[in-house]
Amino acid sequence: MKRSFYLLLCISALLLLSQSCTEPQDFSQFDDLSITPTLATGLFYMESDEVTINDAGSLSTFYSQTVNFDAFNEQYVAEHLIEGTITYEILNTTSKQLRITIEFLDEAENTLDAELFNIDPDPSGINIWEVAYGPGGKSLDILANTSSLRITATNLGDATSVSTQSEPKIKFKSAAEFLFRLK
Amino acid sequence: MRIRFYFLLLGLLGSSVLCAQNKELLYDFYEIPQSLMVNPGVKTSEKWHVGIPVISGLSFQGATSGVTVNDLFANDGIDFTTKVQERVLDAMTRKDDFSTTGQIEGITVGFRGRNRPDDYYSFGMYGETDVIVYWPRDLAFLAFEGNGGANIGRSFDLGDLKLRGEMINVFHFGINRKMSESLTVGARAKLYSSIFQFQSIKNSGNFTTTEGQDNIYVTSINANMQLQTAGVRGFYDILEEDTGTTKKDIKSLFVDRVLLGGNLGLGFDAGFSYQLTPQTTITGSILDLGFIYNNKDVWNYTLNGSTSTEGISVYLPEDIDNVDNDLWQELIDDIDAALPHGETQESYISFRPVKAYGSIRYDFGEGGNSPFNNCGCGVNDQGGGSNRDYYRNSVGGQLFMMKRPRGVQAALTGFYQKRFGKTLALKTTYTVDKYSFTNVGLGLNLQAGPVNFYILGDNLLSYSNIADSHYASLQFGFNIISWNDN
Repeated sequence: MKRSFYLLLCISALLLLSQSCTEPQDFSQFDDLSITPTLATGLFYMESDEVTINDAGSLSTFYSQTVNFDAFNEQYVAEHLIEGTITYEILNTTSKQLRITIEFLDEAENTLDAELFNIDPDPSGINIWEVAYGPGGKSLDILANTSSLRITATNLGDATSVSTQSEPKIKFKSAAEFLFRLK
Repeated sequence: MRIRFYFLLLGLLGSSVLCAQNKELLYDFYEIPQSLMVNPGVKTSEKWHVGIPVISGLSFQGATSGVTVNDLFANDGIDFTTKVQERVLDAMTRKDDFSTTGQIEGITVGFRGRNRPDDYYSFGMYGETDVIVYWPRDLAFLAFEGNGGANIGRSFDLGDLKLRGEMINVFHFGINRKMSESLTVGARAKLYSSIFQFQSIKNSGNFTTTEGQDNIYVTSINANMQLQTAGVRGFYDILEEDTGTTKKDIKSLFVDRVLLGGNLGLGFDAGFSYQLTPQTTITGSILDLGFIYNNKDVWNYTLNGSTSTEGISVYLPEDIDNVDNDLWQELIDDIDAALPHGETQESYISFRPVKAYGSIRYDFGEGGNSPFNNCGCGVNDQGGGSNRDYYRNSVGGQLFMMKRPRGVQAALTGFYQKRFGKTLALKTTYTVDKYSFTNVGLGLNLQAGPVNFYILGDNLLSYSNIADSHYASLQFGFNIISWNDN
């Protein structure tokens, strides 16, 4: 009787330890995982005082520069970019109307796209432009093929007036916020 | 990506199916010779024991304090990305971890001193793998959500990356001595032979994107990060070469490392059992108080420095004559220079995860004959009410603590043990720790003549759906034990 009891206990314990089971798992669900982070970064910043603008003269370009810019056409970025927005923010406290042009150039320096901003003299406040890329916006190919940026800043006013602001300047800010598909 | 994910899953989550370091069932389960390995000062009754090579002590433990396999992969019709967002990203904290430990005993032998029967000597060799990865919460948010949108202004803590792992072979020799009728003490010296070790435990820094001083955004990084590895590169190089002798080379390197050919270390265990009254005993032990000096096959990866950027910046009139059109590359170069990263081969010391146990046990229920009444050793088994083996029942509590990269992990256990003659002993436990509040364990020790078999399983309630288990542990083994001259 005693031996049977031990045996029963022993078998019960072994059964308990061995009776592990699990609900069905579907590991293929991993294929459905979507990882789409939004990455934000400052792109290009330019500022100029009014003296420099006046020195360049009336109706003349006071800054023009082409800079290599490979951030967008890095293969990984180009392949995983879904959509995004480039935000331009311009503050003009000078006494003249200004124009800033930013051109997106491919490797052969062909213009793929351009953004042109006319900014009124002070007081014109903070001017913000948001340019969308991807579905509903401009083609992502523009960004994917951009190898350099040409930034041109032109004085559309006179070359003598001076703003009443303490430190009159043109400040051109830009930033990108893009949605990537990592998986 | 998929293969890497499955590898991670297997290593981190999948291991929980089998299996943490707490051996609450084995602790003070003195009928099992392997209890000497968790308390060198446990009371011993046997004259000698020999473990059956390789299968004398197998233990697999795994734990996840956060998400389980079932949470993610149950066939519940919920979108997988939603599950990851709600059950991982929104639910897990930087203190959550995935951990796994496995031990395979190669050799274990114990014997009582011929001239000093109060001494019980034991020695052997076992392999151990121990990995813990803390959930890198902020880095995961950065990967899944990015630094834009609602995360503008958020500081991502790079110190969230904390992990540690190693595979070692341990040669040990211990002495267990009965000091008096009430006190038994023991100590064990260990020689560690490291197969590989890696750790990234002293990271700090942050990554932020905020409103810039000039431009719209400024992105800043301040990083002090390091991944230390020893013994990993050797295996990696063999796999990378992918020659026709890869398997042979891996095996050869593995055997070399197992047999003291790699990085070496020293360790120490100590423990005691003290009988407060004939029926009340307190015990305690400290295990793996040791280190490994890693000076062979060391490859460390570092990232140190701080920088911030608002993008390409032009200030007129200062930059009017700067016709350099490589401003973007200069920016990249500047960031690269401000964040020195590289490899070093500096030796380092890795400390073993120190563990400590303590317990109090109350024995009751006189059983008449001692289960070890055929013992020829005359030690710890002298019959009568003062002998703890005389009692058939034990009840008590145990405390387990372990040093982990993010601090001490503790577990509290209540147990009940029942002995059925000299052939069978059962121990059941209820343990509370960070992994589970419903951990009920059951251990069985079966003595069939000289053959000893034991099996110990934790968190049995989770066995109905083991994929949903936060913690699981299984230990078993075979020994040959003698209490007399047979």
